[in-house]
Amino acid sequence: MPQVRIIAKNFMDMVASMPAMKLDRLYENTFICEAILRSLPPLAKKYVLQMLYIDQPVAAKLMEEWVLQDGLSKHKVALDRLVHLRVFQETVDRKRETSYRLNPKFQANLQQHVTLGGILPREPMSFSISVKLPSLDELQAYALQQWECFLLQLISSGQSDKPTNISPSMMKLFQRGLLTQRDREAPKLTESGFRFLLMDTNAQLWYIIRDYINNAEERGLDPADLISFLLELSFHVPGEAYDMNTLDDIQLATIKDLADLGLVKLQQGRKESWFIPTKLATNLSISLTDTSSRKEGFVVVETNFRMYAYSTSKLHCEMLRLFSRIEYQLPNLIVAAITKESLYNAFENGISSDQIVAFLQQNAHPRVADRVPSVPENVTDQIRLWESDMNRVEMTHSVLYDEFPSRELFESACDFAREWNGLLYEDSKAMRLVVKIEIHDQMKEYVRRQR
Amino acid sequence: MVNAIKGLLISCDIPMAQFIINLNSSLPASQKFIIYKLDNTHLFVQPTVGEMIRSAISEFRDQNSYEKPA
Repeated sequence: MPQVRIIAKNFMDMVASMPAMKLDRLYENTFICEAILRSLPPLAKKYVLQMLYIDQPVAAKLMEEWVLQDGLSKHKVALDRLVHLRVFQETVDRKRETSYRLNPKFQANLQQHVTLGGILPREPMSFSISVKLPSLDELQAYALQQWECFLLQLISSGQSDKPTNISPSMMKLFQRGLLTQRDREAPKLTESGFRFLLMDTNAQLWYIIRDYINNAEERGLDPADLISFLLELSFHVPGEAYDMNTLDDIQLATIKDLADLGLVKLQQGRKESWFIPTKLATNLSISLTDTSSRKEGFVVVETNFRMYAYSTSKLHCEMLRLFSRIEYQLPNLIVAAITKESLYNAFENGISSDQIVAFLQQNAHPRVADRVPSVPENVTDQIRLWESDMNRVEMTHSVLYDEFPSRELFESACDFAREWNGLLYEDSKAMRLVVKIEIHDQMKEYVRRQR
Repeated sequence: MVNAIKGLLISCDIPMAQFIINLNSSLPASQKFIIYKLDNTHLFVQPTVGEMIRSAISEFRDQNSYEKPA
């Protein structure tokens, strides 16, 4: 099953796209150096470690000899990546020989890391009085609940019970691209919005965080500060409490937003307050592809187009409502019907039949998931048929030419249009042809020249 | 002298083409939009009527379906 993804990029691509000056500043932070090292492809990792204690530039030619002939492409990819991230600094000497050396700051930080071992960015708090910290399971549940609440608010503002304190303008920003915003009309989910809902949590999280970082400047924050804080956060131990007083002002403002997303849980004691990172936060710096932990499905589709969803989540209900008719809701069960009308609604919103079928298959209840096919064939076929029914009429803006003085001219005009890949229709008996409107100018020019 | 007309090329199946032809003939002469009936499955129409035809088709489709009241 191909994973639907709006963006293939991850955190590190974002880091790589930063201007050189900012990157150098980022590397002053040990944790970022470590995160970068972790994110590298295996060969690049090896090179970094190999060069760790070499203080002089190493010639590119020499490095090429480190690999066998078949490994050259991987070697190039690794070098590219390293240079791109400015982990390697490229120098060209007078003889036009390229050589590389590690970024000195990066090198110093990593050397320190190797000798001293990893230190946590801040020490977990030790409590003199016994304070009950949430268990890991509770924390995970909290994170998912928070995230779901956020998603629900994202797709249908006003639906969630407890509003998050993410500002409406920020919400608008996240919604941009996911929802269509028309005046006087309830916002609707777009195609990419639907795909967004189908992604796994980590990919979704990254999508939102990316927007959050991209917008840091508008809020008067430096994206570099934000990235370094987020990366730092991913090195905290989930489930441990950390003192809020160790954060600076920018971080304090950020952490409130992160709490809304479920990345951290904020708690307050009698005197001090602390934050507890959740799994969502610690997964941030891990490359997204590694964490495709499949959630258990919940949908059973029957051959009579009935759909039973064993779920208590409002979010699931909203997602099903996009393309089906919710018949009734029980405490742990949503019963829906896939109807022609409900599907037409979905198609009008730009959701395709393939996306719907893929969604049903990916979320099939464990009871039916190992059946082949997990969604009855007559249902999937009918969904596709209904979609093709929508597209029975095809319209193209075009230009029609007729009254050709001679058959030769007509035929050469046809050939010309075909060459430009713009011929839509030809009728040699009546000597008419229809071409795409884009090549009208060329056509006009051509016919004029022929006379 | 070659003559060029800007318009919309419609390609569809035969029943749909008949529906559009019927729609065209039901309108008063001033609003007729079909320029040429090219063949069974191709029509050439005024460039501005695309939306109108689409909405007429979806109206026709809605007439043929029944939605259970909620």
